[in-house]
Amino acid sequence: MALFSSPFPSTLLPTLSNKPHLSLKPPTTPVLFPLIKKHHSLSLARSSDANGAGVVGVVEEKVQTREAEKKVEESGEGLGSNGAAAAAAAVVEAPPKFKDPRWVGGTWDLTQFRKDGKTDWDAVIDAEARRRKWLEDTPEASSTDEPVLFDTSVIPWWAWMKRYHLPEAELLNGRAAMVGFFMAYFVDSLTGVGLVDQMGNFFCKTLLFIAVVGVLVIRKNEDIETVKKLLEETTFYDKQWQATWKDDTPNDLSK
Amino acid sequence: MASISSTAGSAVLRRDFFGSALESHRKNEVSLRRSVIRASKYSPKLPNRRLRVAVIGGGPAGGAAAETLAKGGVETVLIERKLDNCKPCGGAIPLCMVGEFGLPLDIIDRRVTKMKMISPSNVAVDIGRTLKPNEYIGMVRREVLDAYLRERAAESGAEVINGLFLQLDMPEGPNQQYKIHYSHYEGGALGGQRKTMEVDAVIGADGANSRVAKSIDAGDYEYAIAFQERVKIQDDKMVYYEERAEMYVGDDVSPDFYGWVFPKCDHVAVGTGTVTHKGQIKQFQAATRLRAKDKIEGGKIIRVEAHPIPEHPRPRRSSGRVALVGDAAGYVTKCSGEGIYFAAKSGRMCAEAIVEGSENGTRMIDESDLKKYLEKFDRMYWPTYKVLDILQKVFYRSNPAREAFVEMCADEYVQKMTFDSYLYKKVVPGNPWMISS
Repeated sequence: MALFSSPFPSTLLPTLSNKPHLSLKPPTTPVLFPLIKKHHSLSLARSSDANGAGVVGVVEEKVQTREAEKKVEESGEGLGSNGAAAAAAAVVEAPPKFKDPRWVGGTWDLTQFRKDGKTDWDAVIDAEARRRKWLEDTPEASSTDEPVLFDTSVIPWWAWMKRYHLPEAELLNGRAAMVGFFMAYFVDSLTGVGLVDQMGNFFCKTLLFIAVVGVLVIRKNEDIETVKKLLEETTFYDKQWQATWKDDTPNDLSK
Repeated sequence: MASISSTAGSAVLRRDFFGSALESHRKNEVSLRRSVIRASKYSPKLPNRRLRVAVIGGGPAGGAAAETLAKGGVETVLIERKLDNCKPCGGAIPLCMVGEFGLPLDIIDRRVTKMKMISPSNVAVDIGRTLKPNEYIGMVRREVLDAYLRERAAESGAEVINGLFLQLDMPEGPNQQYKIHYSHYEGGALGGQRKTMEVDAVIGADGANSRVAKSIDAGDYEYAIAFQERVKIQDDKMVYYEERAEMYVGDDVSPDFYGWVFPKCDHVAVGTGTVTHKGQIKQFQAATRLRAKDKIEGGKIIRVEAHPIPEHPRPRRSSGRVALVGDAAGYVTKCSGEGIYFAAKSGRMCAEAIVEGSENGTRMIDESDLKKYLEKFDRMYWPTYKVLDILQKVFYRSNPAREAFVEMCADEYVQKMTFDSYLYKKVVPGNPWMISS
């Protein structure tokens, strides 16, 4: 029921800075797509499959990738506590509750995540992702006696950046650079106009602009389909509401 | 007929007037196609009788419509199939409804001032901190509310008939009457007596499975199944729900809606709903019960109920002099699934349009009068519906989206915006940075 029509309040997550968008690329799910410029951190979701694993917003994209990362990292991490709990489940009738030595009093005990004298934020993100995945598979009753107190905003913004934004930015920049180099060479070989002179030409500048925007919008081949679907999806509800006005002329004629 | 040529002449005028007027009111992308509107001021004056309108269905929409019609001087008949119907419903009404419809405060069983939203990973957020002392969400029993509105309609002069609408016969010619076939239940006799009635216009307020809608070929809509169990819990556990309602989100509870625990007069209603996975509704209900287990443990299920909820309006909400209102038209919002207020409001708006178009029951009305009601309703509430649709698309997509949703609701600005827009049906952005979080 959260209803708002003004720009997303950035004071909501004090540790997260005001970025236009965080580009993320979780292994199995579609990529974030900023659509409404006003809501600079809020984006319309889209899904390319029936499960609807669309991604949205600054807050939940990091949560969602947390979860996706969890899938990747699950095999690598030591699952001592969960493994023991799973074994117990076979014996006990009631589904086991989530247990982890670092999960204390409804929140993660950050002192247990220290590495080299500093908090290992990656491990915190992984732990929370694992907890959420666990709860997804075996939901628990929400309890007022043992409430969940963990607030994801304790994780600093640069931890998210380092983990999700930078690798994808590197990838996209690399692709853009390769395409750019080849196009510059191609144009030069066709027209004899060198790189410096190309940059001075308005047409070339326009092409460059289109290329940059294109790379931001269409990051993989699959994105083209997703963008088309997104466009259709945003207007679907509108069409349903206007259906009553579409049949006006034929109705009158039939009377 | 002489009226046809005069209407053709005025149609051009009206179209331009309407066309420009509509465009100026419409928001950016949504634009109405110019419709050919025939002026009803040129409709014939009714000789020695008042306009006769039948309202099919006696819920909030029907009751509100019948009252407004009767007060406006139109001869009104309200046909309701079950006068003591205990509708399965969340039963939440916004504050503005109490004011706008003059509801007595004793109709409201409970005032919910605290809402708890619980994410898939059981992060619980209390919303309601920004509510002023006189603000609340009213929880009503549908049988009480519906009966009250029907009473008021009867007091204003509407005739309430206990009967089941069967069939609608179209008028033979322009300005002829519609014929309604219905089954009249008299004095508790099994099976009713089949009767007919001639009326000038029909308001279809007969709910999600509207027969009137079928008669006018209004088209279908997608609908959600809402499933609810009424649970009587122990008194000490009931204290927790004194003024509190809970909303559970998660894939386990519903893939595209939410599970809820709403307090009723002396018990709680635990339920959930879905559009896309109707076959698994029992599993979703079990999951909702599991999530609320600690708080409803030991409770006894006293009633199980289910009902379809429309997801969007029907393709055709009016045809000739028949219009649909409320659930029959499909006016349930997405995201929150709110329908009572919009049902009553649309019933009232439709009736107002008829009263105005018929000049207090003295003239025959025209299709254009009913279109005016549709246009007014769409213009007033389209932003609300659209925003809720976007919120549903964005936040009910997946568990991470729901986690983010709950996290966002912890912010005071978001809470204030949410409640203001729900309680008063006005979306006023305000200044997000003024309110400290």
